[in-house]
Amino acid sequence: MLILTRKLGEAIRIGDNIRITVSDIKGKQIRIGIEAPEDLLVHREEVYTVIQEQNMKALQYTVEANQRLPDLWNKLVKHKEDDE
Amino acid sequence: MRGGILGFEHLKQYVLLTQDEKTPFWWLQSIEDGAIAFVVINSFVVDPVYAPVITDNDVRLLEIASSEDVVPMSIVTIVAEPLKITANMRAPIIINVKKKLAKQIVLQDNEYAVQYSLTDTVLAMENDGVGDAGNLSNLKKVSTSLAF
Repeated sequence: MLILTRKLGEAIRIGDNIRITVSDIKGKQIRIGIEAPEDLLVHREEVYTVIQEQNMKALQYTVEANQRLPDLWNKLVKHKEDDE
Repeated sequence: MRGGILGFEHLKQYVLLTQDEKTPFWWLQSIEDGAIAFVVINSFVVDPVYAPVITDNDVRLLEIASSEDVVPMSIVTIVAEPLKITANMRAPIIINVKKKLAKQIVLQDNEYAVQYSLTDTVLAMENDGVGDAGNLSNLKKVSTSLAF
């Protein structure tokens, strides 16, 4: 990992098209400005990881899911009706 | 290039297939990789008052002209225990049904859960799409190709 030290207002350029700016510093929180091509997705790391993992989990039962879906739906409907 | 499904950004072409008229589930099947297929559900069926905030950038990327063109769908995670089925309401797939463009977005709003239990919600079964139900029924008849 490349470590660079920046002061408030200073920036870092990545490749030709990406610029990261230290926009504000408040105590332990840093506001980071990101300029990047619009097809490049920018996410908070922890959120990205969680979503990616959930997408992976969703694939695990895909094969058998097709036959199970009507049955699953019926169970959900029945569960809702039992609750009411 | 609008951004694909997180973790699968290299896959750009999918087909949206209706699973069965009797369930609100759909299949989002990758054309480029047959092993990749997601079960999805119209997010409004899960939460009738779902209000995902779509950034201006994404509105532009998805060429959204009107909110009527938009259908958000949530990826469903099925596990062994049937009632533990969940839908990802934090990262919906936003579909522009007119332009057949789609993208998975990550909402900033912590209010929406990544693992939203389908048993915890009011399942509005009769409401298969808020607003213009015509949009979704157009999708139902034929399999729809989507570009991510």
